[in-house]
Amino acid sequence: MSRARSALTPWLLVSPGALLFLALVIVPLVLTVILSFHVYDHGTGIKNEFTLAHYLAVVTDDYYLGIFWRTLRVAALTTLLCALIGVPEAYILARMRDPWRSVFLLVIIGPLLVSVVVRAFGWSMLLGSTGLVNQALQALGFGTVKLLYTETAIVIALVHVMLPFMVIPVWTSLQRLDPAVEAAAWTLGASRFTALRRVVMPQVSMGMLSGSLIVFGLSASAFAIPGLLGGRRLKMAATLVYDEFMHELNWPLGATIAIIVLVANLVIMLAYNRMVEARARRTLG
Amino acid sequence: MGFLTLASLSKVYGDHAAVRDVDLSVAKGEFVSLLGPSGCGKTTTLQMIAGLVEPTRGTITLDGRDITHEKPNTRGLGIVFQSYALFPHMTVAQNVAFGLEMRKVARAERDKRVKTMLGLVHLAQLADRYPRQLSGGQRQRVAIARALVIVPPVLLLDEPLSNLDAKLREEMQFELRRIQQSVGTTTIMVTHDQAEALSISDRVVVMEQGRMTQIDAPYRLYEHPATAFISSFVGKMNRLDGVWRGQGPSGTAQINGVSLPCEQASFPDGQTVALSLRPEKILLRAHGQGRVDGTIVNRFFLGSYWLFTVETPVGALSVSVPNHGEEPAGEGDAVALDWTPASLRVEAITATAGAAA
Repeated sequence: MSRARSALTPWLLVSPGALLFLALVIVPLVLTVILSFHVYDHGTGIKNEFTLAHYLAVVTDDYYLGIFWRTLRVAALTTLLCALIGVPEAYILARMRDPWRSVFLLVIIGPLLVSVVVRAFGWSMLLGSTGLVNQALQALGFGTVKLLYTETAIVIALVHVMLPFMVIPVWTSLQRLDPAVEAAAWTLGASRFTALRRVVMPQVSMGMLSGSLIVFGLSASAFAIPGLLGGRRLKMAATLVYDEFMHELNWPLGATIAIIVLVANLVIMLAYNRMVEARARRTLG
Repeated sequence: MGFLTLASLSKVYGDHAAVRDVDLSVAKGEFVSLLGPSGCGKTTTLQMIAGLVEPTRGTITLDGRDITHEKPNTRGLGIVFQSYALFPHMTVAQNVAFGLEMRKVARAERDKRVKTMLGLVHLAQLADRYPRQLSGGQRQRVAIARALVIVPPVLLLDEPLSNLDAKLREEMQFELRRIQQSVGTTTIMVTHDQAEALSISDRVVVMEQGRMTQIDAPYRLYEHPATAFISSFVGKMNRLDGVWRGQGPSGTAQINGVSLPCEQASFPDGQTVALSLRPEKILLRAHGQGRVDGTIVNRFFLGSYWLFTVETPVGALSVSVPNHGEEPAGEGDAVALDWTPASLRVEAITATAGAAA
């Protein structure tokens, strides 16, 4: 057996995956970055000249900045709500006995089995001005509220879609937790709530971290739900990019927004990861 | 009335009774072991005392107070779990301080008591380590310190040594007894290891299929096991089946025509009997000079003693002989076995005793 061959083996083994990643992720990304520097002319289209004008235009225009803030706000709120609902849900799920556990796990994962578009239309029927929610409010004598085409509608639908991504990592980390640890806290005089706060919560913080990273990333780049529940006027980053490409035909500007969103997303997630993980690693190892 | 009293305590899961009518009275400062094979209900009994399992029937009284339905966090008992159940995100000192914190003990007082307790379990220099940085024996001592620092009226130990390797287990066994005696806490330990139960307890409670079958001091349990199960479970035992010949006390037990005298036994003629004889009660003699002759089939050297398997007309017998520093008879040698009639126990075989064995 030649040494050269054995040294090459790992490279050969990773090459299919690496090539796929290169062709499908890196190349388009590099092309998008290049595209974002091209000059665009409304009369003649994309020109073979380079400029920073698109970046300047985006970061100085309140219209775009407003959309970025909205995206950040919606994604952060969705993450927070998912954590508030998903962590207790995962805890209850972990304490359930088997026939029920399987049933409720399916209920939680269920939404992932239905197309996002179908679910978004479902929500728009519920939240519309003559939808079930408003009918119920009217029947109770409260009058109607505008829900559809608001940020509220987007957040509600996003929380519904993203919840499994929070429940599953938290549930996984709960399963690694020895139930005797919680019992030990009780026997030392901790109430159920104190035991949860002081002993269980720190254990699931890693699960919460990965869950919130997934939820935040997916919410910030969500397309179908803001597109269908936010309407034409209430735009988020992904719908904005779509409009620049497909309606304005200003591909370089669309690419610029896409790159800014990507970089912003990366910076936020990495910073969050550092902040939480550094603390958790130190104690959980 | 004992310090801790269990009265007809039972736990029924569906139609399976895990613990049936357990009555036990533990005196203050006593070290009691619950001994039995897995599934005998010993851990369930401990968990009921701890308040982690709700009893189906019966009462638990601690120092005159009925605690049967009290929540675990108000009972104030110290518990060492089989897995130790240390808080992985807290340091050794934080783990030990947790119970004091829950009792709202002031900071200065808390630090002092944690330090004293860590000194007692020889962990003072590891106070700032996390549980994952400790060895099994160290973790176990943290668990003991955490349970004892709250000065519990009763310390409950659930298989505290089962996760340690053999050598460490033996060391920790005596360490546990030392700590218990220096603090003077009433202690109940659950274990399936008879050697562990015998060596450090004041009294041992044997449990079989949810019931307590014998409560006795360790040496009495060893010398006078109440059931066939206990005699085989506690220590090594040679068991032989024989027939009682002759009427009443003047008769003898016979196996394959060999008559074996024994004391204080009386059965009707023809009764089938079980004979039990501890390996260390048998003496190895020169051929022709004992009660039965035999041939050594196997010989094992176990350091402090030799263990022989001797084939005799009454059956194969295990014989253990202390190591006196000289090589004893070898495999294939013809020897004789002798013992005092008092060390041979004879019991009538009834249908139930046969099933239990």
